[in-house]
Amino acid sequence: MKNYIKSIISLTVIIALVTVALSVTNFVTAPIIEKNAGAAANEALLVVMPDGGDFTQVDMTQYTLPESVIEAYTASNGGCVVKLSATGYGPDLIIMCGVDADGNVTGAVCLSSNETLGAEKTYGDTLKGATIDTVEDIATVSGATMTTSAYRNAVKDALNTAIILGGGSADLRSDEEILQDNLKAALPAGENFTEVFICEKLENVSGIYEAENGAGFVYVTTVNDEELFVGVDANGTVVSEATDDVKANIEAAAKIMLSTSLKEIDISKYADMPSNVEKAYKTNSGNYVLEIHASGFGKNGDNYYNPSGEYIYIKIALTNKGEIISCQTTKQAETDGVGSICKDKEFSSQYVGKDETTYTDVDIVAGVTLTTKGYQKGIGQAIKAVKIMEGVA
Amino acid sequence: MSKQNNMSILLKGLLRENPVFVLILGTCPTLATTSTVDGALGMGLATMAVLICSNIVISLLRKFIPDTVRIPCYIVVIAGFVTIVQMLIQAFIPDLYKTLGVYLALITVNCIILGRAEMFAGKNSVGKSALDGIGMGIGFTIALLSMAIIREVIGTGSFAGNEISFLVENGLTIGFLAKAPGGLLVYGLLIAVVNKITKGKLIKKKEFSCAGCPSAEACNGGCAEAVKEGE
Amino acid sequence: MEVKALIIILMSSVLVDNYVLNRFLGICPFLGVSKKVNQSVGMGAAVIFVMLVATAVTWPIQTFILNPLNMGYMQTIAFILIIATLVQFIEIFLKKVIPALHKSLGVYLPLITTNCAVLGVTINNITDGYNFLESMISSLGVGLGFLLAMVLFSGMRSRIEESEVPESFKGLPVTLVAASFISMAFFGFAGIVENILA
Repeated sequence: MKNYIKSIISLTVIIALVTVALSVTNFVTAPIIEKNAGAAANEALLVVMPDGGDFTQVDMTQYTLPESVIEAYTASNGGCVVKLSATGYGPDLIIMCGVDADGNVTGAVCLSSNETLGAEKTYGDTLKGATIDTVEDIATVSGATMTTSAYRNAVKDALNTAIILGGGSADLRSDEEILQDNLKAALPAGENFTEVFICEKLENVSGIYEAENGAGFVYVTTVNDEELFVGVDANGTVVSEATDDVKANIEAAAKIMLSTSLKEIDISKYADMPSNVEKAYKTNSGNYVLEIHASGFGKNGDNYYNPSGEYIYIKIALTNKGEIISCQTTKQAETDGVGSICKDKEFSSQYVGKDETTYTDVDIVAGVTLTTKGYQKGIGQAIKAVKIMEGVA
Repeated sequence: MSKQNNMSILLKGLLRENPVFVLILGTCPTLATTSTVDGALGMGLATMAVLICSNIVISLLRKFIPDTVRIPCYIVVIAGFVTIVQMLIQAFIPDLYKTLGVYLALITVNCIILGRAEMFAGKNSVGKSALDGIGMGIGFTIALLSMAIIREVIGTGSFAGNEISFLVENGLTIGFLAKAPGGLLVYGLLIAVVNKITKGKLIKKKEFSCAGCPSAEACNGGCAEAVKEGE
Repeated sequence: MEVKALIIILMSSVLVDNYVLNRFLGICPFLGVSKKVNQSVGMGAAVIFVMLVATAVTWPIQTFILNPLNMGYMQTIAFILIIATLVQFIEIFLKKVIPALHKSLGVYLPLITTNCAVLGVTINNITDGYNFLESMISSLGVGLGFLLAMVLFSGMRSRIEESEVPESFKGLPVTLVAASFISMAFFGFAGIVENILA
């Protein structure tokens, strides 16, 4: 028993002595270690801003910053360094970007990524010197569009962060939010606008949006090379400010749109109808609206390249002469960031105004050949279908 | 053992009882930190510092520590010194701290230190224990350095971080030596070389490798057997 | 997403970041006990068991005791004492309650106290900032990796025992050379987790 107690006491004494020795050492070294860690962190930030001097971490709760911002530091030279996350092709990229006091990018690096192509490793150099006004113009790397555009958006967020930290205000809305805000401004009574499929030939109208609550429509027209949003009430009367010419044009367009109606055509009675036409409608003005599918990368004929095995579905309006009035991709399952460009309005609207002889002028996109070629072929079939229904084929 | 003179205590660690090549103790750091000369030197010196300090303290305390709690006491003393060395390195040589990482904390379970505490410091005077610590520490450092020089010079074509342009430009490096498999290979080859050179002159290894190793009884003499077969 | 992250931790600690073959932790028992397959399995199982129990105890101690008290510097001492004590307790417990298991694992238990892989994994779990579940998964992975390396190697060793090697290579040197080959084979796993799972 005595031995037992002696053992415990001696072990306890030794542990106590060692603890004291350690806490003394810790007391001496802890401040130095902390200083080292601070210096190391500072050095890491200098990579994107070589003349940044000392950095102070920003208390993010004080500002409304873009959601992608992870950390932000202000530099003693008036600039700032922002760490952001961006969603590229795979898991998140962590991007660090320096912005000087004048709003120029001083450097951007990708701290971590699992991307396959490696474009993110050098893309930061391209962005050096960009400002909030020029960043959108810097080209993405072809073949790594998703990654580099995510990178560019992160840098744009960094530039916005710099503006906010500098006391200014920045536009943090997404493209969709900006559109909805513009629509709302044109038709204040409207809520939650959705795009209307245009099946009539309209003069100088690039888009129509309908308010969910039935308040009316917003017509997008072009005046002096600038987009103008014009609000129209449910009866077709222009309600927003516009010149008389514009008003007259839009009201004429609205009158056509309000009077149009669709009637389904039984396509089974046409023996030669291309097999990719799923449904066909005729408007009272004699135009055709077709719902077709096209082969993309997902389903190339009967060859399945992609597990989704999906066609690209397209809704297309044509005149009885086969001229394309509007064209919209309604559903697709192409590879995200590659074939999925077919859902972009910029892509499908290239076919507007084209006809039997000119629809092949639309460029096939390199690197997305299968999707864009299949798309074009599908549209060719739609034009053929119209000629069959008109009885001129 | 008590009749050994001081000089032989100091010198035996260098080759005759070299902890790495003859006693086969402390294999983990030997393999893990020898891909660069800097890392090996840092690890060698850190281990030596802990070894000398713990040998001295344990020798001082050897009369007060009851036999039953001997090993836990040794471990606490050693872990204490390891942590002190760790904090000092983190404060004053942060680059080395980054290189060595978790292996610094793992000096605690380096068999050399507990082995020397159990085998030597627990039975000998303070002076002799200090000499033993210095000798073993130097032996350990030299062994680590010799491994690291081979691995860094041939593996990455540099010495202590300075590029040897002759090797790099002519593509004379064998990259895999600097990686994990290379460590095992070089270690095996060096033990074979030491076996060849010292053949017959070495004292009975079994006594020194297992009697001192705290895990000897459990390892069924596995290490000793491996060493014995090497004779 | 959560499950995927856990699988990545598990697979990378078993294959890519194998403690024995890539980080050289626990190399002593790897070289000492891997002579026979059944011994390797016993040792590996004991290591997995101790690693899991040690992590289950050390993680809360670091998080709820050492960190709030600002005593991070006591980590090494606390962990090694905990592991040593745990191993003792486990041995006593097994001996009394499950003698059959004690018979098969018992002899390997004391050896584990100074196995740097156990101390290594508990410290690394803290350094890598894993939460409790991730720590347990990572410990399981490291243990499985240890078992895998041991079993694979014991098969290789029985071949070496029978082959003729130069005098100075007999024993440990040739074993190390063989271990080098196994380690090289595991190098092939680098990138597997990143490119297949992630």
